[in-house]
Amino acid sequence: MKRLFTGATAIILLASVLSACGGNSNSSGNAGASSSPSTGGSSSAESSAGNEPKEKVTINLWAFTDEIPNMTTKYLATHPDANVEFKTTIIATTDGAYQPALDQALAAGGKDAPDIYAAEAAFVLKYSQGDASDYAANYADLGLTDDMVKEADIAQYSVDIGSKDGQLKALGYQATGGAFIYRRSLAKDTFGTDDPATIKNEIGPGWDKFFDAAAKLKAKGYGIVSGDGDIWHPIENSSDVGWLVDGKLHIDPKREQFLDLSKKLKDNGFHNDTQDWTEAWYADMSGSGKQPIFGFFGPAWLINYVMNGQVKDTNGDWAVTEPPTGFFWGGTWLLANKDVAKDEAKKAAVADFIHWVTLDTSETGLQNYWANGTMKDGEQGTKDSVASAVVMSKSNGQIDLLGGQNMFDVFVPANANASGKNLTQYDESINIIWRDQVREYTSGNKSRDQAIADFKQRVKDELNIDSE
Amino acid sequence: MTNRERSGTVPLSVHAMKESGKVSRGVNKTVIYIVLVFLALLSILPFWTMFVNATRSTPEIQSGLSLLPSTHLLSNWNVLLDKSFDPFRGFLNSLIISGAATLLTVYFSSLTAYGLTVYNWKMRQPFFTFIMCVMMIPAQASAIGFYQFMYKLHWTNSFLPLILPAIAAPAVVFFMRQYLLATLSIEMVEAARIDGSGEFYTFNRIVMPIMIPAVATQAIFAFVANWNNLFMPLILLTQKDKYTLPIMVSLLKGDIYKTEFGSIYLGLALTTLPLFVIYFLLSRYIIAGVALGGVKE
Amino acid sequence: MRRKGVNYSKYGYIFSLPFIFAFLVFSLYPILYTAAIGFTNLQGLIPKPIQILDDPFQNFKDLIYHNVAFRTSLSNTALLWIANFIPQIVLALLLAAWFTNQRLRIRGQGAFKVLLYMPNIITASTIAVLFSTLFAYPMGPVNSFFELMGWSDEPILFLQDKTTARGIVSFIQFWMWYGNTMIILVAGVMGINPALFESAAMDGANGFQTFFRITLPSLRTILLYVLIVSMIGGLQMFDIPQLFIAPGGGPDNATLTTSVFIYGQAFKGSYLYNRAAAASMIMFLIAAVLSAALFYAMRDRDAARIRKEEKKLRKAAKAAARGA
Repeated sequence: MKRLFTGATAIILLASVLSACGGNSNSSGNAGASSSPSTGGSSSAESSAGNEPKEKVTINLWAFTDEIPNMTTKYLATHPDANVEFKTTIIATTDGAYQPALDQALAAGGKDAPDIYAAEAAFVLKYSQGDASDYAANYADLGLTDDMVKEADIAQYSVDIGSKDGQLKALGYQATGGAFIYRRSLAKDTFGTDDPATIKNEIGPGWDKFFDAAAKLKAKGYGIVSGDGDIWHPIENSSDVGWLVDGKLHIDPKREQFLDLSKKLKDNGFHNDTQDWTEAWYADMSGSGKQPIFGFFGPAWLINYVMNGQVKDTNGDWAVTEPPTGFFWGGTWLLANKDVAKDEAKKAAVADFIHWVTLDTSETGLQNYWANGTMKDGEQGTKDSVASAVVMSKSNGQIDLLGGQNMFDVFVPANANASGKNLTQYDESINIIWRDQVREYTSGNKSRDQAIADFKQRVKDELNIDSE
Repeated sequence: MTNRERSGTVPLSVHAMKESGKVSRGVNKTVIYIVLVFLALLSILPFWTMFVNATRSTPEIQSGLSLLPSTHLLSNWNVLLDKSFDPFRGFLNSLIISGAATLLTVYFSSLTAYGLTVYNWKMRQPFFTFIMCVMMIPAQASAIGFYQFMYKLHWTNSFLPLILPAIAAPAVVFFMRQYLLATLSIEMVEAARIDGSGEFYTFNRIVMPIMIPAVATQAIFAFVANWNNLFMPLILLTQKDKYTLPIMVSLLKGDIYKTEFGSIYLGLALTTLPLFVIYFLLSRYIIAGVALGGVKE
Repeated sequence: MRRKGVNYSKYGYIFSLPFIFAFLVFSLYPILYTAAIGFTNLQGLIPKPIQILDDPFQNFKDLIYHNVAFRTSLSNTALLWIANFIPQIVLALLLAAWFTNQRLRIRGQGAFKVLLYMPNIITASTIAVLFSTLFAYPMGPVNSFFELMGWSDEPILFLQDKTTARGIVSFIQFWMWYGNTMIILVAGVMGINPALFESAAMDGANGFQTFFRITLPSLRTILLYVLIVSMIGGLQMFDIPQLFIAPGGGPDNATLTTSVFIYGQAFKGSYLYNRAAAASMIMFLIAAVLSAALFYAMRDRDAARIRKEEKKLRKAAKAAARGA
């Protein structure tokens, strides 16, 4: 027993010394191979690269889900003469693990620095306009011009977010303009119809009409939304300015209204008091919460990626219509490292991939596959709303969940109504604090003034941002 | 002098008291056993639930509590792997770091303890008091500086900063010293010297074998402590393929896995399985070690 | 004879060298570096030149006087630790008393010890995530159980209420450590001179009296050891508060402990390294002061007892000398 122990530990020590020394440079290569299950594409590209012994360009791709890495497979399949190889690093955004890693890698520079990196709506501003924006290349320098952007009819909010001082640095492939997704059966029962055009005028425009509708629903024993988080996103995005004005914390009146609206929801029992992304919230998507819930606010991805798995028996009983006020929620932007411009071959490869993902409106462009759900050959995959209105207008957005309704009819105008001008790079952290304090107020633990005061104090404590 | 000793017989009253004492003791014992069984269940139930839920599918879990396993182990496993949770990689990383750190800790602590007990040197007592003080330093005090230091050395995402500091482990030195003081006789060392062995040779070949019980105990604790360490690896390792198991566990709670409860439980079960195995194999030594560590004369 | 001591003493230094070197490089230097950072303006991930602040103690003052979150974390840390430690020590003492009571003769002690110690060995982060899912709303196992037993009509939001969140965090810490404490105390009781117990039994002392008059005082050293170790550990409580409720901090910062606060300042949000370093230094000072206070109490009593006994002996000797 003792000898076994000693022997085993000796082997471990030896292995650790070897791996610790050699682990640094070799490990990132493994990440590429092990991350996406179907990366057969990269090796087949190698063999079909033609007879020219050109050096393969390696692109370091950083993402926080496997969405973009899966796109690289499709890219290599549709571009057999592309002489690239993707080395992918995926770090989930949970617990804030992605950003520090990405920031460190960008700061370190060198061969392993990210060439293309993804940023989510919650923190994209830091990389496109904020502290880390110096690392990002201008799309113009990569050969991706503003004209291309106009031709593809990219949603304006997406461009606003991705630009710094008029220079475009980031674009996304999804458009995440939000709509109101409601239950057809509950609509018929309360309003007599489930027609999106009629419902649109029942619930809005404006929050006063929304609450009138809530009262009508309550009379029938239904809640209008699942939790206060559901109305937060439209409210957040409807404000005139963001959380920071001249570097100081500013509470826009429209956002401050959230305190009152949330309380109104709770006091009148218009919702099930759930918190988004929790079990109870999901339960409401299948109508199995405390009271049946009329609708959810969300972009197309909420329908296709979240509700899809949760609706169960209510599948087909949903429809979308315009929300009381326009908003967007979520989305992923792609950025390129400034340093890729130094190498012509790399610059071309990076530009080509980014163009394919964000600006290509052709049949073989990513967005066409993405919108129609044809990423995998022969399989009907998930459809989604994409950045280019041009692509959406030629695509078929009918989905079963919505009882056959073409979701693009609603989402194209929704994307246009979203605003990209009221965000800051600290939004993610500030929003967490804000929602927490609002919850304290609505549950009766604090007075309204106390909640606001505590909110300002905590933002100062945690982020070192003073209030005006 | 008590009544008992004077009269030579046991008075009736005392006898009655002993009888009732026995009854109340019986009642006491039942109460005690009930409490103990309750506590034992309290210790087991969460883990039992975890293992059971690892085999159930998410809808099953959402529908209620169950103490019996189900059949969805394989599907949970597939979901877990699909979502790029790599338990093998995490296991390997944790194993490498913990194993190497444990080896360094026990060897160098024994070495230092030996130096403190066998040799008579001027700074011996101050050095020992110094070690005692070092034991009290909370990990956070050095964490930020340590991180910045490693960042400048470009040693982030390397296992070295997690392994090398294990050389200096004050608590283990303390324990080894106690053990040596109790079991080592100077005569043995002197005899070895007379036989012509050098100091290092004496330590490695003669003294270390004597210390095996203490080494084994401390090795187990060092290994488990290193295996369970979250804070340091969390701030130093940012590349996914370098993650240790605790880091992976901390990521299980996040966005990607929120809906898939079955796979969350399975991930948790996987990360703790090695610990359970070690524990049940070596529980006797572990508990003896805890007891030993507590008694400080 | 003297030659041997002089010849070999240098080995004491040599053998201790690796320890000293590792400590200097990996502990002392980082501590000093942390302290230094606390006086500067090091913030943000993008490397910038660091300067010492105009008012060197700016960070410290800000934290203590102006930073409500930090103060909350201090009080939370203390609160959570007390709520965890008191039940822990009471239960551990009770169990130790039962297990070592000769008259009671509890069977299966070995098995019980193995089971009760088990939570201590499992990774804290796993336990945090496990409990977080156990207390899920609305249909987590605990909620299902409560409903089964009829203790509640509708599911309880354990993780959103400040009191229950704190209560559960304390409970988890308690649950993880009471087995450890119990085993140490049992070992301590075993180490008490049995002659003391025999003479107590002869004097007719019952269970209670034996426990409070003999066992507890003899355990004083061990109890203080347990107290110090638990306190140092409590000051660093990280895994459970950080992971049990995401984001770390809990509802309205109810479960924000100092470690979680420092981690949040340094590695999230605005990467405020200087403030995190200052907070770490403050925690270090608190730990040092508390340990010193406890050590002082410990040393005093031992020395005082010894001194008292010596005085008694001297008096008795004098009286005997006079009497005889």
